[in-house]
Amino acid sequence: MHSQSIDAVPSQRPKNVFKKRSVSISYRISVFFRFVAAIFGGYVFTSVLISLLAILLPLNQLDSVLLTTTLSVFFYSCVFIWVFAVKSLKRVWITILLTTGVQFVILSLIKGWL
Amino acid sequence: MKENFFRSMTWLHTWVGLLVCWLLFLIFFAGTISFFKDEITYWFEPETHTVTHQDNRLAKQRQQINYAVEQLQNKAADSSSWRIYLPEPRNPLYTYSYAEPKQSGQRRAKFTETYLDPTTNEQIAPPRETKGGYFFYRLHFDLHYIDVRTARWLVCLASLFMLIALITGVVIHKRIFKDMFSFRKNKGSRSWLDAHNVSSVLALPFHIMITYTGLITLIFMVFPYPAQTVYEKGLQQMFNEASPIRARVESSDVPAPLVSMNTILDQVYTKSPDADIGFFFIRDANKESSRVSVYLNTGKEVVDNGAAFLFSGSTGELLAEQGKDWSASARFYDSMTALHAGRLASPLLRWLYFLCGIAGCAMIATGCIMWAKRLRERLKPQQQAGVGLKLVETLNLATLMGLPFATASFFIANRLLPLEMVARADKEILVFFLAWLAMTVLAIISSSKRQWQLAAWLNALVCFAVPLVNAMTTEGNWISYLLTQKWTLFCVDFGFIIAGSLFILQGKKLRTASKKVSTRRFQKPKDLKEQQG
Repeated sequence: MHSQSIDAVPSQRPKNVFKKRSVSISYRISVFFRFVAAIFGGYVFTSVLISLLAILLPLNQLDSVLLTTTLSVFFYSCVFIWVFAVKSLKRVWITILLTTGVQFVILSLIKGWL
Repeated sequence: MKENFFRSMTWLHTWVGLLVCWLLFLIFFAGTISFFKDEITYWFEPETHTVTHQDNRLAKQRQQINYAVEQLQNKAADSSSWRIYLPEPRNPLYTYSYAEPKQSGQRRAKFTETYLDPTTNEQIAPPRETKGGYFFYRLHFDLHYIDVRTARWLVCLASLFMLIALITGVVIHKRIFKDMFSFRKNKGSRSWLDAHNVSSVLALPFHIMITYTGLITLIFMVFPYPAQTVYEKGLQQMFNEASPIRARVESSDVPAPLVSMNTILDQVYTKSPDADIGFFFIRDANKESSRVSVYLNTGKEVVDNGAAFLFSGSTGELLAEQGKDWSASARFYDSMTALHAGRLASPLLRWLYFLCGIAGCAMIATGCIMWAKRLRERLKPQQQAGVGLKLVETLNLATLMGLPFATASFFIANRLLPLEMVARADKEILVFFLAWLAMTVLAIISSSKRQWQLAAWLNALVCFAVPLVNAMTTEGNWISYLLTQKWTLFCVDFGFIIAGSLFILQGKKLRTASKKVSTRRFQKPKDLKEQQG
């Protein structure tokens, strides 16, 4: 929460909050799309990444599946946090779509889906 | 998304935390109780309280299995499935059961159970119909009254949010070490922040471990894709490869006598001389397709899928073995599930698990209370609280006070509902949810400090009622448990006495707090200055 900032500027804080509370529609939409990017974008990205890793890792079938699936949560949470750390929403979406797309193409080529 | 990384993470921590905090509290609360699932089920079945733990448990396992199989041959030779559960350190009972023929439209066959005294092999009266600790275990990830799959997805999403909140919580906590030792009392939302920090930081490794491993227990539902990419037939093929002893065969109608159990047990004891057998399952006994699976207890090892053997029931041949040579990845995955379920925990470690779970509940509770407190404090004197704030306050009271209330009511219902009631186990659960509903109604009426105080008194009342009702309806009470050293039963009763005392403390604290508020109104300027300085 806002612990540290409150310690620093206790008197100014409340005013800011009320300004922020009357947030614009565009801000709300951008927050919504950030959550969509984090939850669904992160999910698809992680799915493709771990599927690709499961094929590429030099382990036997069972081991590579178990290892990549176990690490999935780690990847997912990293992407989730990154989505909120980046300033521009456009950059978030472009990066997610590009990386997922490239990985998917590689995966499809290996599996012969295309 | 904000001006800088720190601000973004603060924002994210607040919002992912707040969005799911009530569901998370339910998950943590039910999960914490589930660490004592077996003990609670034992408390819920007073008919079995006369049974004492047997001496030299392991030495008797062979004889117990043979006896149960003999009984099952007489009672249900045609049944499709027999199950034998041997006594364990946490559960003295010795049980066998067989599947009734499946009715049309039933997904799973109903099992008829027989309970035995492990020392005498004498049949004891079947205990009352109840779910006991198992209810909390299922509530923890299946919720209740809603579709299981939907529930599990919800629980997974909430857990992911929890993990994000934990990571961002560490990131935004600049003085993580210093704050561990600071608690500023009676400072409004700042005290709640300190409580939030203490409960989070003290048990932080546990929180992260339990959240991550919790997601791992359901991970194949969330991410089946690697398995589907690598294996042609997807998950099922992977599971069959991972645990060959679960391989299913088509039931045949060709009769074939069941081999002597000693043939099978001799092989088990040759492979593993000090085997501690947990369950013993037989499918299609007396048929050619018969299969016997023997599962060993994992004891204190960090292992979830322990050693197990699959035999043919008609020839006695060993068909498959599990847990012999695990690879690093398999161990990595399996140990995560083991750590989450905590079956490995000896009594002391189990209590530590429980206490850390309580710290988790406290972390979530203080977090959502603090959010509401902060907004309240920022309201100008004449300003009305918004819809969002009111909603959060209502949900806080309904969840944080409602769940303990419902739990204690559930325990009381077990003792008070008539034994011959139809669908009794479901009625007990209904009482749980009705009690929770009652507290929710209370919260909807008002979520003022006075209402919190009322809820605290009500909670104290039901908590003290549990040992009292137990003493009146069963043979024992918490003092006799202490004298006869029935520690499991004693701890349940005593746990409620402690919980009740804490609720009394809370009620008293709330009373003094609301008095302070009313006096403060008269001497406002000075007091406020003091608070700010």
